Amino acid sequence: MEEQQIKDFVHRVSSDETLRQELAQDPDSVIMREGFSPRVAQIVARLVPHLAFGDSSSTAPTNPWWQR
Amino acid sequence: MSKDRLSSFSHYAAQQELLRERLHLILATLHPLLRSDVQQALEEKGKLLYQPDKSISLALPTGNWALLPLLIAQYVNPFIDDAVVSSVGVAIECFVCALDLLDDVEDEDQTPVVQKLGVARTLNVSTTLLMLAQQALLSLAQQNIPSDRVLFLLDTLQTSTLHATAGQHRDLLAEQRPAEDMTDEECIEIAAGKAGAIMRLACLMGALVADADKILCVQFSEMGELLGIAHQLDNDSHDLYYLLQGQTSTEDAVHPGTVTESVKSDLARGKKTLPVVLAAHSERILQENAAGADEDSEEHKAALQEGIITTWGICLLYRDRAHDCFQKIEAQKPVASPLRILLGFE
Repeated sequence: MEEQQIKDFVHRVSSDETLRQELAQDPDSVIMREGFSPRVAQIVARLVPHLAFGDSSSTAPTNPWWQR
Repeated sequence: MSKDRLSSFSHYAAQQELLRERLHLILATLHPLLRSDVQQALEEKGKLLYQPDKSISLALPTGNWALLPLLIAQYVNPFIDDAVVSSVGVAIECFVCALDLLDDVEDEDQTPVVQKLGVARTLNVSTTLLMLAQQALLSLAQQNIPSDRVLFLLDTLQTSTLHATAGQHRDLLAEQRPAEDMTDEECIEIAAGKAGAIMRLACLMGALVADADKILCVQFSEMGELLGIAHQLDNDSHDLYYLLQGQTSTEDAVHPGTVTESVKSDLARGKKTLPVVLAAHSERILQENAAGADEDSEEHKAALQEGIITTWGICLLYRDRAHDCFQKIEAQKPVASPLRILLGFE
């Protein structure tokens, strides 16, 4: 299940400093090693700046019109 | 701003004018005192009668709940009558505005309109809007729409209302439950029952009124539900993010305190949004302890941060699934920029 893959990966990176450093240095290899589906791999790649570097710019507000 | 985007905004402006005219026609049937209150609700930010400060942003068109079914209907049948599509658009606008008001009251949010009208009048305005939504659909019978299709549109609205109220009820009941007892799936189901059901309805109604075939109706419905869920998760993760960072959102910059206060109120009420539930699972932090002594601990913040990132990732997943549906729709016929931009696929 794709949701579970994302959840498990974020949890592992959040609780494993070594994995976090590895992700920061070589995200492509880490993502490939995990064997994600192309869709999950693409999503995880978008999460990398936030997971590995704590970069908040990737979660910039989207101002969706459907929410007031 | 790109040429496509600029031209889409001109298109929106023309369609919004059409929708406003239709809305005013329907509002004209109300008693002046009631009409004034209903108009106030429809003049809130993002609603069809909202008057945006042009200096703020061109990126936030108004009345998009009405625009969505209108543009979908025009996609399915480019020759569809303006009066017909605007009636359906207005019905959705009134329906969503009614549910928003109920949500404000149920969550005890002190939004500008609740502050102005008070709870009793807000509830009456909501009832009025729900009836206006039905009236707008019934008016289709006078616009040469076959009565069986009008009945089907009304039935679709009723079914979606029941779906959305069930989602809302589960959300309210979840406030009484410990976050760690909730599952991720339940959070998604609640999002599907609320935002998902509403967006599904808006997309489906546009397709139905234009007499789309069953396959296209299913594709638009599925895309709407997936987008609705994605939007809810996006909202939940960003709201909590701002609160955690002690920052205000761009919405707060325009209407000070609006989002931050609403999120604080959600947390205080024990709302079980996906990032909160994930954080509770991750660190075994109960939602009711969020306001306790541990709320400033690094572990608690790290668990919430993990919940936010995971929720954002799942939001992207739903958005991608919605995009798959969009591509299936587009495989049949290209989608023009105004609808594409409104859906967020450009």
